[in-house]
Order: sequence, then C-alpha cells, then structure tokens
Amino acid sequence: MKKGLIIFTFCLIIFSLPACKKVIDPDQYEVNEVKLYSSISDKTKLKSQEQFVSILYTNLFQQTLSGNKLVQINNCLESIGDKELGREVLISNFMNKPNVQLPSDSIMRENPREFVLDTYERFFVRLPSEAEATWMVNYIESKPQLSAELLYFAFALSNEYLYY
Amino acid sequence: MTMNRRKFIRNAGIIGAGAFAAPYILPSGRLFAATGTQLAQHVVYVLFAGGVRQQESVLQRYLNDSQGLPWAGNIMYNMLNGQAPTNKIVYGTDQGNGASGGTPILQILSQTLETQGTLFREVSSQSNGHYGGLNNLLQGSTVSTQSLKSKPVNPTIFEYLRRHGGFSATDTWLIGNGIANSIPLLNYSAHPDYGAKYGANFFAPSVTFGNLGFEHLSDAKVYHPENELDPIYQMKYFLDQSFSGVGRGADVLGNTDEEKFRIKSFMKQTYQKVIQNQIPFPLVTDGNDAFNVGFACEVMREFKPALTVVNLNDVDGCHADFTGYLRSLHRADHAVGHLWNYIQTMVPEMAGNTILIASPECGRNLNHNPIRDVNDWFAYDHSDDNASRVFTLMAGANVPSNLSLGSEGNPVGLTSDNVLTVAEILGIKPEVQNAGYVQSESLSLFDRI
Repeated sequence: MKKGLIIFTFCLIIFSLPACKKVIDPDQYEVNEVKLYSSISDKTKLKSQEQFVSILYTNLFQQTLSGNKLVQINNCLESIGDKELGREVLISNFMNKPNVQLPSDSIMRENPREFVLDTYERFFVRLPSEAEATWMVNYIESKPQLSAELLYFAFALSNEYLYY
Repeated sequence: MTMNRRKFIRNAGIIGAGAFAAPYILPSGRLFAATGTQLAQHVVYVLFAGGVRQQESVLQRYLNDSQGLPWAGNIMYNMLNGQAPTNKIVYGTDQGNGASGGTPILQILSQTLETQGTLFREVSSQSNGHYGGLNNLLQGSTVSTQSLKSKPVNPTIFEYLRRHGGFSATDTWLIGNGIANSIPLLNYSAHPDYGAKYGANFFAPSVTFGNLGFEHLSDAKVYHPENELDPIYQMKYFLDQSFSGVGRGADVLGNTDEEKFRIKSFMKQTYQKVIQNQIPFPLVTDGNDAFNVGFACEVMREFKPALTVVNLNDVDGCHADFTGYLRSLHRADHAVGHLWNYIQTMVPEMAGNTILIASPECGRNLNHNPIRDVNDWFAYDHSDDNASRVFTLMAGANVPSNLSLGSEGNPVGLTSDNVLTVAEILGIKPEVQNAGYVQSESLSLFDRI
C-alpha cells in the first residue's frame, strides 16, 4: 500500500512538471519536410519533360541543373521521337558523368531491404508495398552482378517516375 | 519481362544485315501482311516544305514574275525539266566567278525526276500555312481545329501503316529539319484509336546529332545487353506493372527492345561518323535542309524503312529574303537529287524498289510584301490564293515516266492525295479509306493518272 502511494506521488510530480518547450530560433532555416505519398494511386499528374529532367538531374547529381542546361537537354529529348528511348539515352549519359552520385554496391548488398526502401523513397517519394519490397530484395539477392547503378537506372526509367 | 535477350543477341547478326522481317502479331490482332498489292516496298516522302511559290518552281519564272526583271529559268534542274537562267545568277555558291551565289550547283541526276516520273503541275494545297499544310500532307485531312503545339487530330500515314499494314516502328521515320513549329509532334496523332503505339520514329538531326546532341546524348554509357540492360528492363517492367495497376502508364512508340537497341547503336555510330566526317551529305551542305538529308540517307541505309518522311524548310526565309529563298530552293532541289541518287547507288535494298514523292505543304503569295533584300528584291509571305498552289512530283517503281498532268488554271490533285498514294504504294489503301478520316475528295495520285 505504501509502495503504491509512493509510485502515485512520483507520477503526479512527473506529470505536473511543465513540459520542455522547443525554442524556435527565428533565424534558423530548415528544409521543407517532404511528405511521402501514402499510396501509389495518389500520383495522378504527369511531369512535364522539363520537370522530369530537372528532378532526375537533382536526384542523380545532388545539385540543381542550370536553366540553360535544362533547356538544352529538353531540346535534345524533343529531337527524338521515342521519348522512352530518349530518356534511356539521357540517363545513360548521366551515368557516364564522373560526378554522378550513386551509392556503392556494398551498401546495397549489406542491407538490401533498407536499400530498396530508400530507393523507393528517393525516386518515388513513397514506401513500397510489402510485395514490391520483397520482389525487389529477392531480385537483388538473386543477381550477384547487379549494381546499385542498374537499379537506379530502372527506377529512373520507370513509368511511375514520370508522375507525381 | 518476357523478352529473350539471348535469342536477341543470336539474331543480332541477322538484324545488322537488315534482314529483320519476322512476322509478329499486331495489337489489332492481325499478322504482318499488308492486304493490298504493294507498288513498291519503300516510299521516300519529301515534304518539300517552307512555302514554295509556283512561279519560281514549276513555272520557272525565276525573277521575271516576282521582281519585274526579264530573266526566267529553272533553278530546280534535278527535279524539273527546263533550262537554267542565264542572267543574274544569285542562287548558286560563292565559288568561282566571285559573285555572290554566282556559281550554280552541278546537276546530280542525269535524268530529272520529272523525266523519270510523273509531275502534277498544279495541285491544290488545302492550307496556305505551314502547320496546316504539313498536317494535310501527313493526315490527308483538313482539320480546322488543329492548333499549333499539339498533336495531329486525325491519324497520320505512319499510324495507318503501322496499325493496318503491320509495319514496325523502325519501318516508319520522320526526319525533321528542327524541333520548332510543332515538327516533333507530327510523328503520331492524338487519335484514340491510333496514337503513340503506332507512331513513327523521329530525329531532328540538327539537334540530335548537332552540338546539343553531342553535349548531352553522345556520351551514353554502353551497357552489356545481357548482363546489364536485361536486368534494367526486368526491374523497369516490374515497376511499370505495379504502376499500371493504378491505370497509368506512358505513351510509348512501340519500338521493341531489339529496335531500341538498334536505334541506340545507330546513334552511337552516327556520332562517330559525324566526328569522322562520314555522313553522306550532299555536295553543297551550307543549309539545314542539306544537313537533314544527309542524316536521312544514314537512316535509310541503316533501317531501309518502308516510309521515310523528310522535312525541308529553308525556303521559308522568303518572308524577308528573296535571294536567300532562291538559294534555298536551288539547294532543296540539290538535296532531293542527292537523296534519290544515294538510294539508287548506295542502298541496294531500296534501289529500283522505292517511290519518291515530293510536295510543298503550301505555296506563297502572288504579291510581295514591302521587305527588300540585299539585291533590292521584294519578299513574299503565304496567305492568299496563290499560296494554295503547289505541285507534286512522283518517281520510281511503277510510276509512269515522263508524264505531266495539269497546268496553270487546270489543277489536278490535292495535297491530301498523298496519304492515299502512300497507302496505295504500300498496300493499305482500302484500310485508310475505310477509316474515314481522309478528306472525301482525295484520291490516290495513281487514280488521277
């Protein structure tokens, strides 16, 4: 009985204490939090070609593409009738650049599941369903020669990456 | 993914030899086989575009109609019969006598295309503007609601061929002279029964293989078809399958993986050829039209398409520069002569088995605008009835030779006839007629002969 009273008193004290307040520095800048899509079906809008190129470049190089280069690349894609083929050629060119930012294969192999979750988030801004994650993890594990680059290529070339 | 990459690699030699003709099931369920008899296996369709005035082309009036100067003559002597002007030569190159444009380009063809084929001297264009005219030449219909920067409303000849004739994507090509003025949109329509999956391949060589293409497209990493591309496609197809479950996908042209591989290889080779100066350009290549034709030759050599559409446009400079227009018209003729000569001498699979059709999409005005050029000559726009006057020239297999139809004041033929003509040559005329989108008064030019 005495022990229960002690616990009750302790809890009363704890919960009656004022909560910690986060001090907001008015000069502190933060990156906007990106909200993940809750479902694949939330993506209903087709990216413009410029949006696709710009987002792809940022994704692969971790820096923004200049307006001038964006126009140039967009013109290049306009000059090819098969747009999917054009995108494939463009991605192949990007992958050949020395400053492309790709994760190492060892990171992918260390924890394929986490890598797949990260890749879905990075390219599709959503988490994969269990079935999607399982398929992709199995695929990585079944292909010892598969590189992170090839996996990134497939995501960049996918139809879902054309939508937001 | 169901594609068997190993089989593809085994067959690569055959594909490379240009013998890829295996039948496949069309989306419509039909086998690869055109229903009608083909008059030729290949058509080269030149959109002799940019707005060509009858007076300087078929009528061969050179300066005596446009500028009130008494010098007539034929400056298109690869395509048309007739003596070249003898005075005030400005349309040639600057070499030789020192005068600007004073050296005419040598004739390429020993026999003009008019002699080799049939000339419709006075044809009615259903549009006096570029975009309407080009759409007319490719759709065979006149759609008043067709707006710039949008896909054609009705099916194009490419889509008819692919849907009804079973031709593959690499059997149909549009080689555009640039990416402006909706040119890249003309390779397929927005029609719900046709569209992208029946579209033609397209390059705008001045961009694809020009400076921009070199900077952004020429350094493509070469992936091993089996060890690298195969996994990429397998993963992509898995991802696409998931996404198609929500009812969304992307418009795709329908190049098979084998065709894509071939196109990418072609691009890679072409960049090398550009560096090595091996593109088969016409002798005089100082304009975009000739540049375009050089790459069209490369496409034909590699793919031997059933239909190659080549768009020219340099003569449109006539809005402000009549001298430049004459030079461009002379060079467009030179480029067409080169194209025909290249087919006959360098592409044995197409020589003797190809029909060439050339039509301007529109003419130009009867009266000039106020702009004068360096020679103090007036420029011409295209908006009046004279701008609806054009010609059509046809030559090659099964085309009557040395035949001339129609005359000034007696038009024979419409520009929309060309779609039915191509359809007849490649064996799908009934299907195109039955589709019901070609202008009702149109006929195949063979029916007009």
